[in-house]
Amino acid sequence: MNIALVLVLAATVNVFAAASLTEAFNAAAAAFTQKTGIEVKLNYGGSDTLATQIKQGAPADVFASANLVQMKNVADAGLVAGTPKTFAKNRLVLIAPKNDPVKVASPADLAKPGVKVVLAAATVPVGAYARAALTKLGLHVEKNVVSNELDVKAVVTKISLGEADAGIVYSTDVTATVAPKLNAFPFPAAVEPDIEYPIAALKNAQDTKGAQAFVDYIVSPEGQGFLKARGFISP
Amino acid sequence: MTRAAVAILAAVLLAFIVIPLAGLVGHLGPNELAAITSPSALLALRLSFMTTLIALAVTLVLGTPLAYILARADFPGRKIVDALVDLPIVIPPAVAGLALLLVFGRNGTFGPFLRSMGITLSFTTAAVVMAQVFVSSPFYVRAARGGLAQVDRQLEAASLTLGMGPLRTFAFVTIPLAAPSLLGGALLCWARALGEFGATIMFAGNLAGVSQTLPLAVYLNLESGNLPVATALSVALIFVSLIVISLVRLAEHRR
Repeated sequence: MNIALVLVLAATVNVFAAASLTEAFNAAAAAFTQKTGIEVKLNYGGSDTLATQIKQGAPADVFASANLVQMKNVADAGLVAGTPKTFAKNRLVLIAPKNDPVKVASPADLAKPGVKVVLAAATVPVGAYARAALTKLGLHVEKNVVSNELDVKAVVTKISLGEADAGIVYSTDVTATVAPKLNAFPFPAAVEPDIEYPIAALKNAQDTKGAQAFVDYIVSPEGQGFLKARGFISP
Repeated sequence: MTRAAVAILAAVLLAFIVIPLAGLVGHLGPNELAAITSPSALLALRLSFMTTLIALAVTLVLGTPLAYILARADFPGRKIVDALVDLPIVIPPAVAGLALLLVFGRNGTFGPFLRSMGITLSFTTAAVVMAQVFVSSPFYVRAARGGLAQVDRQLEAASLTLGMGPLRTFAFVTIPLAAPSLLGGALLCWARALGEFGATIMFAGNLAGVSQTLPLAVYLNLESGNLPVATALSVALIFVSLIVISLVRLAEHRR
C-alpha cells in the first residue's frame, strides 16, 4: 500500500516555473510526458513567490526562475541539487494598448507627465529588470507608476485591458492571444539587461531522477525547440 | 464511545483553526514589533482604516434603505433581489474584481462615459473603496434586514399616532430597536472590508499609499522575503478580527 503510493507520487514531477514560461513549459512538459511517461505538474508564479514557497517547504522538484537572484536565494538555503543551468534568455519590451489615447512609443515616453505605467513589483524579476533599464536610460518613471503587479502576466492583462498606458514585460509575454491588442517596442540594446533563466532540480525532490530528467530535457535541443518557438533565446 | 468520537472530530477542527493562528502570534518577536512601525506598514494601516471607514459609511447610507425595503416592502421579484444582495458573499473576490474592472475600468462598460467626465477609477483609492463595498456590504444588508424585520410594528404605529413623523419614528424608534443587528452587521461588514484582497488587487492594483491595503502589504512583504512585516501586520489583523467578533457577539447578546 505504502509502496504503491510512493510509486504513484514518484511518477509525477512538480515543476515551479516563472510565470513568463507558461506557454513554453506547457508545451515542453506535454512532450516530455509523452516521451518518458513521467507526469509533470506545473506551478507558475512570480519567481520571488515561488522561491518563498520552496523555502517554506512547498513540494517542488524543479525550480525554473526568471532571474539568477531568486535561484541564488533558493540555492543559498541549501535546497538546490547540483548546479543550476541557464536554459533560456529573454528580452524586455515596452507594451502599450492599441488605440490608447496616450501614445506611448518609446521608453522615454514613460517619464512624461500623466502617463500611467504598470510595472511588476520591484521584487519580481521583470520589475527589477525594467527599473534597471529605465535607470540606465536616466528616466524617472516611478512617479507615473500606478500599480506594482504581482507577476508579469498581471502586467500584460492590465495593459491589454487598456487600464494603463504602458507596461514593461518580456518579449515572450506578447503571445498570439494578446498581440492583437498591444503595440510592443524594444529597448535600446545598450540598456538591455542580461535576462537569464536558470533551472535546477531540488534537493528535497520526491523523485530526484524524474526531476533531473526534466531539467535535462529542457536544456536538450528538443526542449530548447519549445522555448525558441515561444520567442526565447537559447543561451 | 460515540460521544468521544464527536468530541475528537470537533477538537480536530478547532485545533486546525486555532493552531495556525496561535503559531502566527507566537512568531511575534522584537523584529516584528519594530516592523509594525515601519513606514510601509504605517502607510498600509492608514490606508486600510481610511478606506474601510469610507466603505462602511457608504454601506450604511445606501444599505440601510435597501435592508428596510427588503424587510418591509412586498414587491414582485423581492426574493430575487434578496438573493442578488447576498451574491457577493459567495462570489470569489477575484471574480468580483474582474467584474468591477470590466464595468468601471477605462475600457469597461462605463469607462468611456466616466472618462468623458474626467474620471478614471482603476488604480485609485476610490477603486479600493468600491471593491470593499462590493464584497462587504452584503454582510451589513443581511444583518440589517433581519433586525428591521423583527422590530415590533405596533411600537412604530404608536409613535406615528403620537405625532412623530415617519422619519423621526425611523430614527428614534425603529433604529434603536434594531440597533444590535445593525451594529453587528456594520462590524462584520467593516471586518470583511478590512480583509479584502482579491477584488482590490484586480481592480485597484497595488501601490503604496494609494491602493496597498493591509492584506496586500502582508502579501507583498511575504513575497519579498520581508517576513517580520508580513507577520506583524497579520497579527494586527488577527487581533482586530478577534475584537470585531467579540463585539458582534456582545451586540447579538443584547438583542
